[in-house]
Amino acid sequence: MSLLQVENLRTVFDTRQGAVVAVDGVDLSLAAGRTLAVVGESGCGKSALALSLMRLLAHPGRVAGGRVLLEDEDLLALSPAKMRARRGSRVAMVFQEPMTSLNPVHTVGAQIMEAMRAHDRSLSKSDLRDAAISALARVRIPSPERRFDDHPHRLSGGMRQRVMIAMALACQPRLLIADEPTTALDVTVQAQILDLLRDIQAETGMGLLLITHDLGVVAETADEVAVMYAGRVVERASATDLFADPQHPYTIGLLGSIPRMDLETPRLPTIEGSVPPPFAWPPGCRFAPRCAFADAACEVAPPPLAMLAPGHEVACIYAPVDA
Amino acid sequence: MSAALSARPSVLRLVFRDVAAAAAASFLLLVVLAALFAPWLAPVDPYETDLMSVMTPPGGDYILGTDGQGRDMLSRLLFGLRMTLLMGVAALVVGGVIGVSIGLIAAHWRRLDGVLMRLMDVMLSFPAILFGLALAAIFGPGLVAVVIALSVATVPLMARIARSTALVVMAQDYIEAARATGMGSFRLIRRHLAPNCVAPLLVFATLRLGQVILLGSALSFLGLGAQAPTAELGAMAAQGRTFLFFAPHIAVIPSLAIFGIVLACNVLGDALRDALDPKLRP
Repeated sequence: MSLLQVENLRTVFDTRQGAVVAVDGVDLSLAAGRTLAVVGESGCGKSALALSLMRLLAHPGRVAGGRVLLEDEDLLALSPAKMRARRGSRVAMVFQEPMTSLNPVHTVGAQIMEAMRAHDRSLSKSDLRDAAISALARVRIPSPERRFDDHPHRLSGGMRQRVMIAMALACQPRLLIADEPTTALDVTVQAQILDLLRDIQAETGMGLLLITHDLGVVAETADEVAVMYAGRVVERASATDLFADPQHPYTIGLLGSIPRMDLETPRLPTIEGSVPPPFAWPPGCRFAPRCAFADAACEVAPPPLAMLAPGHEVACIYAPVDA
Repeated sequence: MSAALSARPSVLRLVFRDVAAAAAASFLLLVVLAALFAPWLAPVDPYETDLMSVMTPPGGDYILGTDGQGRDMLSRLLFGLRMTLLMGVAALVVGGVIGVSIGLIAAHWRRLDGVLMRLMDVMLSFPAILFGLALAAIFGPGLVAVVIALSVATVPLMARIARSTALVVMAQDYIEAARATGMGSFRLIRRHLAPNCVAPLLVFATLRLGQVILLGSALSFLGLGAQAPTAELGAMAAQGRTFLFFAPHIAVIPSLAIFGIVLACNVLGDALRDALDPKLRP
């Protein structure tokens, strides 16, 4: 049984020009203790997807359809009060910007205690303090008792991201959504944070939904990968399969454009053009205008995900390509 | 490391770096203390008349002279400060609490924003003096009517400033992060939204205190507020008006007190704004 099952999720933004679709029929599934990476370039809808799962989309964004089953409970069908009770306790989120995601006027300890209090009012002040200090210790913040009383501006970016993780994990959620958790950090700190997430996952058995544009991060942490392009998932596979045998032309292009030190290439291959904005999506396969293999058949309708092999699905009418 | 990080001077220190602001703050503190301890500081009962010595000029037995009924001006000034400050602070607190609540609610629940802010626009279109007149006509003149009128005049201003500040804060990442931990709306407003809106509200409240005292004194001067024989600065100035040519001190002393308080509030408010606004910081 899977921890998270997303079925045909649609997210739209209501604008004066009409509804703009950001997430267009996405299916995902994630088992407990596993890591699913959602990969895609800017504007492909991956952050809108994350916020839709949390039901934190700000106006004018809204979820227009689909189901989000977390341990067989449809989050989209819950009342706002029930959904609030799920946030933090069942599903939590870590954001991209550790520098601005902590409230500057409160100490980090107070903010972690606040996250715990949101779900358990019975804890005493000293219990909360102890729990918050051990939460800081769990994310490997040195001398947590001292850091407890520090304001966020005294901490480095990496430290703040650790605090954010401690806050997100304060109530032992079953699913952690991490939206580009390492993008704002430098590379060494990036590796430390990913290690930390992996260790905590091994300890608690939580599912991790990792949203990223960095294929290096994917290779390092993910079990499963979903590649998103223009609001749709174009390829789903295990991380090993995806890197060994990418099938969708977009995935092939992405993997081809990673700089490698072991190959002598005169020029780094790129994918020409950029992701079309939602109001300019082509009627057929959305990658067709940038695809080297596209022909008239690609412009009829967006191809659905089709199973190539167990655990490997591709949305391309010409897959599998012959290797 | 801690020395470098705490190098930013405290707001209080920044305010006191400005000589005028330090003087204004000291003056206001003095006024508040005088008002608080009026019963102990006043040499005689402010309502006791001495008909043998009416309109005595300042100096002599009565340090600030006596008024038209031979009451001690110093004692009346101290008690008058008390009444005027109480009126101003009450109106500011009532109007501030209601106004800030409305502003925060409008910023948090955007659905209510339009209705609430149009309501504030309607309130803003009533001149405070006119509204005070109407209230006095309905309930009879008195300090309660003045406080209500001044509160009503303060609510929309506070609501607007609170809303505009809160809208900026609502867009911050930490608000989203707090909601992601499952925090409820009221707690979010109290713990995350309100504390980050304090600075501009504090500046405005200081400036507004001066305006409210001025307006309140004006209403009392017009006879809508404090009634005789109550010692209140505006009412005292009105009583002294009759004797302006024989005994100018009766009108001048309370007027100077009002002038001093309002000026001090304005100077302090400006200094606070300079200290709290990081963009104006040298």
